Amino acid sequence: MEFLTDPFGAEFVRTGALAAAVVGVLSAVVGCYVILRGMALMADSLAHGVLPGVAIAFALTAGSAGEDPSEAAIYAGALIAGLLTAAATSAILRRSRVREETAAAVVFVFMLALGVVIVSRVEGYAVDLTSFLFGDVLGVSGGELAFSAALTVAVLAVVAVLYRPLLLLSFDPQRAAALGLPVERLHLVMLALVALAVVIGFRVVGALLVLGLLIAPPAAAALLTKRLPAMMAVSALIAAASAPLGMLLSWHLDLAAGGSIVLVAVSAFVVALVLRPAAG
Amino acid sequence: MSIVADGLTVRLGSTDALRNVSFEIPSGRRVALLGPNGAGKTTLFRAAIGLAQPAAGSIDLGSDRVAFVPQRLEVDSSFPVTVADVVGMGRYGDLGWFRRFGERDRRLVADALEALEIADLAERRFGDLSGGERQRALLAQAAAQDARVLLLDEPFTGLDAPTRRMLHHKLESWRSDGRTVLVATHDLESASRDFDLVICLNREVIGFGPPAETLSEEVLARTFAGRVVRVGELLVDTAHHHHGAG
Repeated sequence: MEFLTDPFGAEFVRTGALAAAVVGVLSAVVGCYVILRGMALMADSLAHGVLPGVAIAFALTAGSAGEDPSEAAIYAGALIAGLLTAAATSAILRRSRVREETAAAVVFVFMLALGVVIVSRVEGYAVDLTSFLFGDVLGVSGGELAFSAALTVAVLAVVAVLYRPLLLLSFDPQRAAALGLPVERLHLVMLALVALAVVIGFRVVGALLVLGLLIAPPAAAALLTKRLPAMMAVSALIAAASAPLGMLLSWHLDLAAGGSIVLVAVSAFVVALVLRPAAG
Repeated sequence: MSIVADGLTVRLGSTDALRNVSFEIPSGRRVALLGPNGAGKTTLFRAAIGLAQPAAGSIDLGSDRVAFVPQRLEVDSSFPVTVADVVGMGRYGDLGWFRRFGERDRRLVADALEALEIADLAERRFGDLSGGERQRALLAQAAAQDARVLLLDEPFTGLDAPTRRMLHHKLESWRSDGRTVLVATHDLESASRDFDLVICLNREVIGFGPPAETLSEEVLARTFAGRVVRVGELLVDTAHHHHGAG
């Protein structure tokens, strides 16, 4: 049993595992829409698009004497940059006949390049770039955990309130429009939910792997369920279990925590693939 | 309550998908919308439900209780909805975002599943159905919606003979309830036999009226641009003959 409990003796490990579970649940639920609507590239684009926002927040709030940057500013910067990425992509799609994946990719590389340029001008950020890309689950503070939990509750409430419109938008956008639903605005709400999941996810598993939390648990759940509420529940369970399991692996085998968590989530997908009853 | 198109023009890019389309359909009729691929049938439906913006003119369905069944619904086979869920979506318009399914909603869904003979498929995942079964589920969704105007885009494509007959019975019962049904179809024989009115469309209205008066050889030749041949008493759209037979 010590094998299981040992790592969680330290408070910062418990906080990190809880934060990973909370972020996992949020991503796992929002991620159901990402895979149902084929928005994986868009989600990845959002994940990388937050970099310039994070870099600017860092530059503005980290003192030259080496004080820590403001956590709130970094979350705000990430969220603004993420929403700008989504808005810019949507604007390109509205005004031209560019394919969605092309538009998302162009905005994504622009934001990433902008972020890299800004980082190169900010002293001290080179070190922190590692935690941006790979996450820093053990550095999550109690305040951040509370913030993530509150945001997760808020996002789940939005998902519950908009259950029918978002299901219809995912299943049959034409029908949603024929029923008079504000299809365009609902799509933006969906992008905003993904942006929120990304913003609190990159802190835990890093910008490179945040897509893993958005895609792997829902992809596994999709194989095992036949109704959306069940898919969301199974997806959330997989994500919530992947967090402590990943942290255990990371502790005992001395592996990167974010990577371990995502590896466990992806393993769940592989298991689901094998277990899946043969398609009828 | 009639459907009125008045000088409807829709541009897709630089071409006119529909040019100056006008007609008036009194309520409670079954109307066949005939025309070759690319004639603008789907565009007409999209304009009717507000998905395509007219460059000029207008189309008014006379009711906001409208059901639209697309020709094909591209849905990932793993999409997590059951057949009962899909038919239940027909009730969303009346229920709004929150209201729970009531007695009447459940009955409408059950009746629709019954009418399209898919009650035994209710708990199956929609994505696991065959093409014809999916089509029936979408038609059941339209039936459950209790709409006054039904727009069906090529609903007979991919249906077997018994299902076609079942759908014709359904069209008949919709009409006797006073509902207006507009059906895009390639099937000239059925259009002349099973419908009250026909619209011959090839970007513009070539002919409109009761089938016996409207479906002249000249109108059909202009509608289908010479691809129609007479086989005995039957007029056949050669471009789609294979679909019809298969």
